[in-house]
Amino acid sequence: MIIRPSMKKFFQLHHVLKIPSTGFKWAPKGGLILQSVSQDIYHNLALEDWIHDTVDLENRQVLFLWRNSSTVVIGRHQNPWQECNLKLMRQNGIKLARRRSGGGTVYHDLGNINLTFFTSRKRYERMENLRLVVKALKALRPQLDVQATARCDLLLNGIFKISGTAAKLGRTVAYHHCTLLCNTDKRILSSVLKSPYNGIKSNATPSVPALVKNLLEEDPTLTCEMLLGAIAEEYASHNHADNHIIVINPADETEFPGIGNKARELQAWDWLYGKTPKFSISKCLSIVDEQSCLDIKINMDVKNGKIETCNIDVPQHWLPQAMCDKLKDSLIGSKFCPTETTTVVNALLRTCADYKLYSKWNLLCQKVLTLM
Amino acid sequence: MAVAAAAAWRALQRVGLSRPPSAFLARPGCGAALPRRRLGTSPALLLAARRFTDKHEWIAVENCIGTVGISNFAQEALGDVVYCSLPEIGMKLNKQDEFGALESVKAASELYSPLTGEVTEINTALADNPGLVNKSCYQDGWLIKMTVDNPSELDELMSEEAYEKYIKSMED
Repeated sequence: MIIRPSMKKFFQLHHVLKIPSTGFKWAPKGGLILQSVSQDIYHNLALEDWIHDTVDLENRQVLFLWRNSSTVVIGRHQNPWQECNLKLMRQNGIKLARRRSGGGTVYHDLGNINLTFFTSRKRYERMENLRLVVKALKALRPQLDVQATARCDLLLNGIFKISGTAAKLGRTVAYHHCTLLCNTDKRILSSVLKSPYNGIKSNATPSVPALVKNLLEEDPTLTCEMLLGAIAEEYASHNHADNHIIVINPADETEFPGIGNKARELQAWDWLYGKTPKFSISKCLSIVDEQSCLDIKINMDVKNGKIETCNIDVPQHWLPQAMCDKLKDSLIGSKFCPTETTTVVNALLRTCADYKLYSKWNLLCQKVLTLM
Repeated sequence: MAVAAAAAWRALQRVGLSRPPSAFLARPGCGAALPRRRLGTSPALLLAARRFTDKHEWIAVENCIGTVGISNFAQEALGDVVYCSLPEIGMKLNKQDEFGALESVKAASELYSPLTGEVTEINTALADNPGLVNKSCYQDGWLIKMTVDNPSELDELMSEEAYEKYIKSMED
């Protein structure tokens, strides 16, 4: 077994976990089950990165169990403006995260369980993992009708999606993670996964919407903890692993050296928004101003999350072209983001002394902000 | 002579080579951009023969520029590619550096540079048509073009024949 230097820290886990060293040892082969105490998506995703980058998975498998507070998680090559309601999320303190794996957008809260299966790239097999989850569910409630589809979703009663899958394949290692809807707030789920933005053209990977149902709606006697336990048990018997769930804290830099940087990277604007595949926006908006109603046309190209080109068509009699151009020029090169645009726009508005023009210009700026 | 060498070096810099002239002269292989090319000794640089990594990328070098793609084995294993994330032109890559990712059936597969060099071109057709990677992995579905900063690295890659054997051994 190759033990990389940073793995030494990982070996000390049993001290923290108060699992007797006879009960928990790093065998050179077999499975290991970890559960996160953190409900912070960025820390949990950082732990995935840490394992992916650090742990030798040639002869070992790891199952990582985690849950998050309210978060929308988009796939690696997705466009958040197309996938979710960012405005609603900002208002309600719902986080946005971008995974390193592919696939579509999902909503997480404490009623949703996440399972990550780490293997060598050679042993990566999503269907095998899903069969394991189905087996665990059946062991708990034999009457449940749960099946895996060709798209690696788990369907309840042949209609309702209870689990979605995504994966990342690295050089030598791979992971497959999936969600499991136990008791998620479906009202919030459906409202945040509806984008209010239209007029976006992009090659980003689109999500495939599905009817969803919570497992607890099907059987109210189930709990998230029971489901986690059943999956861990099934995993342990499948991988000849110890039946212990090792509780870890992914914010612990001494256990996982370098993990803080990984978490910071995952919540940086450049990753969340800046990684959005290039897209364009073409939108007609109406402005109501002192009983007159006018149409404005806005076209933008956004690359790496920044406004690359911008065109704003406004009737000339309403606002002088020069002012329109000024706005356009200051937007180009800035982030497609309401905070930055507000700063840019406020600086611009301060240069206007004419009250009438100021209020019109302000109206136009507010309209531009609604696109973000 | 010194003048000629300097001119040759400038010419090389224009094609994106960053090695000092002495390195270039010591290894005539990448003189492919110059008349010297006909006298070149490295067949891999002269014939655009594909060479393969153990991670299933291929590279074919012509006039000192390598075209990079993924093998037929890799595209079959991936399934339908729905998105190609490619680097910016000018990005400097070391051998085995991540340079992008392909997304297929909900999986993001990292791409690794077969050689050290700088990205000179990306296949823009893939933006609208990522499926070209499946349909034509060795022709229209190429991913990037890059300079070959260290031609000796080519010798470390597999020939087509060796790669075929390698795939067979993996399947066994």
